[in-house]
Formats: sequence, structure tokens, C-alpha cells
Amino acid sequence: MIQNKTYDVVIVGSGISGAVIAKTLTQAGKTVLLLEAGLTAGMNLDRNGNYHNYVDYLNTFYKAQIKVPNSPYPNIKDAPSINVIDMEPITATNSPSTVGYLVQAGPLPFASDCLRGPGGTTLHWLGSTPRMLPNDFRMKSLYGVGVDWPISYEDLMPYYEMAELEIGVSGDVNAIKWPEATTEKQQIALKNKNYGKDYVFPMENIPTSYIDGVVTGLVKGVNNNKPVKVNGKDTRIGFSITPQGRNSTPNKKYPYRDVIWDAKKKKLLLQTDKCWSTVLNAVIDIPKGEKYEYLPVGATWDPNTGQRCEGNASCVPICPVQAKYNALKTLFKSDRSKTTIKTQSVASRVIYDEKSGEITGVEYKTYRTADSLVYDTDIAKGKIYVLAASAIENAKILLASNAANSSDQVGRNLMDHLCLLTWGLLPEKGYPYRGPGSTTNMSSFRDGDFRKEHAAWICPIDNWGWAWPVFSPGSDLATALAKNIFGKELRDLLADSLPKQLLLHYECEQAPEPSNRVTIDPNYRDAIGNYRPVIHYDASDYMKKAFKAAKEINDQLFEAAGIQDFTTYSPTMAQDYVGYEGQGYNFWGAGHIVGTHRMGKSKKDSVVNKDCKTWDHDNLYLVGCGNMPTLGTSNPTLTMTALTFKAAEAILKQLEK
Amino acid sequence: MESSKKGTNVFLEISVCLTGFSKMELLGTGMLETYYNVMTNKNNLGVVEAFLTESAKILTKNKDNKDGLKNEILNNLIPDSLYDGLAQNIITMWYMGSWINEIISPQSYVQGMIWGVADAHPPGAKQPGFASWSMAPKKV
Repeated sequence: MIQNKTYDVVIVGSGISGAVIAKTLTQAGKTVLLLEAGLTAGMNLDRNGNYHNYVDYLNTFYKAQIKVPNSPYPNIKDAPSINVIDMEPITATNSPSTVGYLVQAGPLPFASDCLRGPGGTTLHWLGSTPRMLPNDFRMKSLYGVGVDWPISYEDLMPYYEMAELEIGVSGDVNAIKWPEATTEKQQIALKNKNYGKDYVFPMENIPTSYIDGVVTGLVKGVNNNKPVKVNGKDTRIGFSITPQGRNSTPNKKYPYRDVIWDAKKKKLLLQTDKCWSTVLNAVIDIPKGEKYEYLPVGATWDPNTGQRCEGNASCVPICPVQAKYNALKTLFKSDRSKTTIKTQSVASRVIYDEKSGEITGVEYKTYRTADSLVYDTDIAKGKIYVLAASAIENAKILLASNAANSSDQVGRNLMDHLCLLTWGLLPEKGYPYRGPGSTTNMSSFRDGDFRKEHAAWICPIDNWGWAWPVFSPGSDLATALAKNIFGKELRDLLADSLPKQLLLHYECEQAPEPSNRVTIDPNYRDAIGNYRPVIHYDASDYMKKAFKAAKEINDQLFEAAGIQDFTTYSPTMAQDYVGYEGQGYNFWGAGHIVGTHRMGKSKKDSVVNKDCKTWDHDNLYLVGCGNMPTLGTSNPTLTMTALTFKAAEAILKQLEK
Repeated sequence: MESSKKGTNVFLEISVCLTGFSKMELLGTGMLETYYNVMTNKNNLGVVEAFLTESAKILTKNKDNKDGLKNEILNNLIPDSLYDGLAQNIITMWYMGSWINEIISPQSYVQGMIWGVADAHPPGAKQPGFASWSMAPKKV
């Protein structure tokens, strides 16, 4: 038997947080072992093989009858993924619900998924990258809800900039409207404060959708003529253009080339005069005065493909040209001579010294082929260990190991954005089903005093027609056929109605609740004996009150704008259905799985410190959305990536002590 | 051979009436042969033959009578209770690229006619290019 090599760092998971750690550390000269649970084919470093595997994903997506986020990707018994198709309402006769990978103890089903496989959930993410708002970090002090973060927005700012470079964000800082700004002067002051006076994103705005113009035009009319009333007060609704992790036109003013470890200053720094060369596998200095323009990162199989979005309108679940960022782009920039990747290798637990708390290994199972029940068990050894396996898997591994849990917070405070969907027909054609999933969002209700009473939300203008709630356009065809409509009449009917479809979704920020949690139970295991996550989940009144408030605003808006409302909520419309003050609401999961190993100021009530290091084990870091103490109203990937750069810096500091 | 050729012809002509698309539009998908084969293989051959015979009869009889054609299709082909629901399944096949609830092939999804009707394109294919989504679609 060969003695296992000891690496500087062992990483579990090749999603965006694992990839950022691997890239940053290997480029700084550290050796890394990366364990990935998914299939070897998805990690193909050879361009030709990489392309063929991706075409397989694409064809699987084409062939899928229900095109849910995980539909293009393999779901293997040895490392199952959550699938939103597997969700069902939980009743007295099916508790817990065990039809999918999750064991759903209820009372409500947790309705969000993630992807276990090379590249992780960034393969199917939408790619929206708004930052959290400064007030989102201080929910307890400002609004008496949840907890404060151990760091401020200002602390995270430099890391946000790193994340925006790594992901390749397209956007315009001036087009992000601050909820508290009522004048143009305030707007500019807040932009300067929160982004810096001269800050620009690597790429210019992704052009906004035609439907955004129609909707914002209608809302402008409503704002001017009959503004919606919130608690009896006239309220004007504002919109922001959403920053996005998909390639657009490079911003000529963007100065940075790379994020590189400065060993002298012991810091990760954005660099203007050096960058990593994947050809030379080394940091190179840029000759002074050399002309620079940000170069969008194209497809993993061909850098010339995907340098700008081509409007495939399938961001979720798959960008055919990889103009949308995915974590393999980052991983492939690692120093390959220092990166060892083991695929089909599922981490089951961490092993530690009871006395010192030091982690001494990660036990993992390597299965032979997809769905094989045959596997080998081995121990990976490193100086430092990083779990980057997703919020749910990280919590599961820690619980299975009885590790990092002196606070009893591991697995707790599971959060998501609870999406209240509303849909109607516009008075004119907005032509949805084209372009990125969403390019503009209603941003007025992302912050405010109302957060003492109910959740805040962001509300993207969706580009998917009614696909999400009612499976349009197939359902529209079926409805017409049920009425025996055919021929030209059928074509005309669909041609008139489909382009008028409008979908909005109010993404309500779930507050942390200790009882919303991931647990494990020896009775529920997967095919190779690893635990399946057992989920306890509910929506509090703080959430339901937000549904009511959002729906009231939506109803006023629809009526005043002449949008014909087709929204209906019922126990069969979606798996999650709740009642509040005599009214029923459905909500849908956002796929923003957050909060299962939160960071905090004290080891008494949190799992990791502000550097993402576990309080209980000096050489164990957790990265990913599980760290987030609260969720804010932004899609969490950008914030999670910023935190991961912060963690990478702390790991390098620790290694170079 | 001869009968299959004749079968695809009737299938194409009746598909024009059922879907509202022209012959050229349907042929342009490249899916005619595949769809004809799917229809015959997924169904009782006797039912398919009876459907095509009835279709041919209606088409010939109403060659110069638009309203008559429409009425006879509505009454003698379209109801879900007739020919195991073949007419509606054929419409779904052209619009969605699926036979009932099953996408026939990656290509059939890409060739679904419904996306063009919506002035869009099948998500993940036939991408219209950078910034196209910020303009109203081009009318042909």
C-alpha cells in the first residue's frame, strides 16, 4: 500500500468556493488535493473531451421533458443531487417524504436544489451577482431580526471586488439603485460610498431585455399617476439593472488583471501589473505601459467561444457557449503541477484528534463507475482542510463526524429566498423567452424599516414567460387543445398571448431560525452508506407577512398598469403552500441554500469565525453559503465567493506562519 | 415504399391543417420523416391507417372549401376520443417536439414550432445573438 501523501490543503468539492480556494492556493505555491463527488467525465481537462462531455449535458437538457435546474446533469446513486422534481407536500401519511435525495421531515418541503458534480451548482446557476446591502450585515442591531454578521460590508468590499473579477461581472454601478436614496445626489453618494468613486465592473452592462423596458415603462406611469400605497403611503417603485456573471463587452476603464497573493504583505491583492499565466504556470510581470483590456473568459473547451452572451435564454440550467461563468473556469486556472484532483470520491467524514481538535484526515469513498455499489475507502491528508461541498453537504459531513459543533449550530438556520411568484398578461407584447433569465430587478423593497415586521425582498423581472409556475408554453398549447382549437386559430392564439406573458417573483429573505435545519439519521443513507440529509423546514410569520405585503403591492401594480392577473395559489399549484390571515400563498425555492454553519463573533453561537475557520478545529475551514449568518436580498453566490477569497487569504497566512 | 411515401404526404398535408403552419415551414424542421415514423410506431397501425385514410378523404373532398375542411377536421379528426387522440398528439409533436409527454430527440426539441410562434427560439438553441433580446423580435 502506498503511503498517502500529505498535501498543504485538502479541499472537498469543486464548486465555486472549492475552485477559488484551489486556484488561489496553488498559484501561491501550495499543494492541493481536491476531492470531487461527481463523475470523472465532468472534470475532463482535455479540451476535446471537455467539449464532448458538455455536449452530452446539452443534449440531455434538450431531451428532458421537464427542464429543471439539474436536468442536464447526471444524478448518480453514489453522490445523489437534490432534484426539485422530487418535492411533494408533506402530509400525515408521507412524513417524512423520502422520494428524493432529501429526507423531508417538514412541516413544509424544502424546495431548492444544488448540484453535486464538477463545477457544482455554478453549472446551473442563473448568474445574477448583486452585492448584499450594508444594512444586511446588521439585521439584529438595526431591525431586531436574526443576527449581525461578525464583519461589515466595508470589511468585505475588497473581497467583493476580487469575486467580481473572478466571476467576470457585467454591470454598471450607476444603474444599481439604493433603496434609501430619494434624490439623485443621495444615489451618487451611496454609490461612491458602497462601490468607491471610480469603481467599475470588469464588463459593461448586459443589455436589458425588451420586456424590462415594457414593464418599467408601465411602472413609471403607475408611479406618476397612481402610485401604489404601502401602509397608506404613496410609494414609488424603483428598478436596478442586475449585475451578472455572464460575459458582455469589456469595460475599458477596468484596471485589474488578477488576484494574487502578496507574500510580503500577507494579503491577497487585486493586481494591475502582474497576472497568472496558465501557459507558464507562473505569475508574470506585465511590462510597464502595456495596453490592457479585460479579457472575458470563454468556454472551458475553447477560449474564443462564449466571450459574450449569445442570448441562448437557457442560463438555468445550461449555457451552451459558457458565456455564463462556471467554477471550472476558475479551477482550470489552478497551477496544475500543484493540483491533484480525485473524482468520484465522496467525502463521508472528517477525523480529528479528540484532545487537540486537530483534523487528521478526511475519509472518502471512491466509487468505480456511476451507480456502482463498489467503492474503496481512503483517507486524505493535509495540513489544512477545507469543506466546500455546499451548505447542506458541509453540515452533513460535520454532523457525521461530530465535528465543529460545540455551538450546536451545525445544520441550523437553513435559509433560502422564498419566492412568491405572480404572473399576468401585459397590455402589449413584451416578448419574453429571450435573453438572460433576468436583467432588471425591482429594488425598492430590499431594505427599510419594514424589516422589523416582515422580510425584505428583491423582485426580478423574469424572462421565462410563465414557464416557472405553470410550465408554459407547453401548458398554453395543452389548454388550447383541450378546447379543440387547432390550425391557424391555434397559431394566432399562441402568437398573441405568449409574447404578453409576464412573470415576477418576489424573493423574500428568510430569517435564520434554529429549527430550520439539516440533521442526519442512521436510518437514511445513500447507496454507498453515506448519510442522506434530513431536513426540517417551515416558513415563519415573518415570511408570511412578507408574502401578504408583496402581494398587496403586486395587485395594486397589476391593476394600475393594466396587467391581466392570472396568479393563483392552491395546495396543488406548488409543493409549498401556507395560509396567512385567511389568504393562501404558494412559494417556490430560489436555489439559494444558505446558513447551515454560520459565522459569528463567538464560538458559543456560531460555527466559524470571520475567516471561515471553525472555532473548534484550528486546521478546518468551511467555505460556501453555509457561512452566511443572514441572507439579505441578493443572490448569495457573489457574497459567498467574496467570503471564500477572505478564507483563502486566512489559509495562506496560516500556512506561512 | 409507395404506401409510405403516400402516407407521409397525407401526414404532411393534414399536419398543415392541424398546426396552422405551411408545408414549407413544416418541411423546414427536417422532422417530417421522423415524426411520421414516431406516429406509426407509437400507435396501433390500424388506427393510424384509418386516421390517414379519413384525412385523405377530408382533404380531397374539401379541396376548394376552406370552411368545409375546417368543420370536417373539427368534427371528424380533432376530438380526443377519435383515433386514440392522434390529431392532438400530432399537433403537440410539431409544436413541442414531443410525443405526448416525451421529447422525441434533442433535435425534435430544437425544432419545436412553438418557440417561433412566441417570437422566440428554443431555449438553449438557435441563439439570436448578443443584445438581440433588448430589441423587439424581427418580423418575417
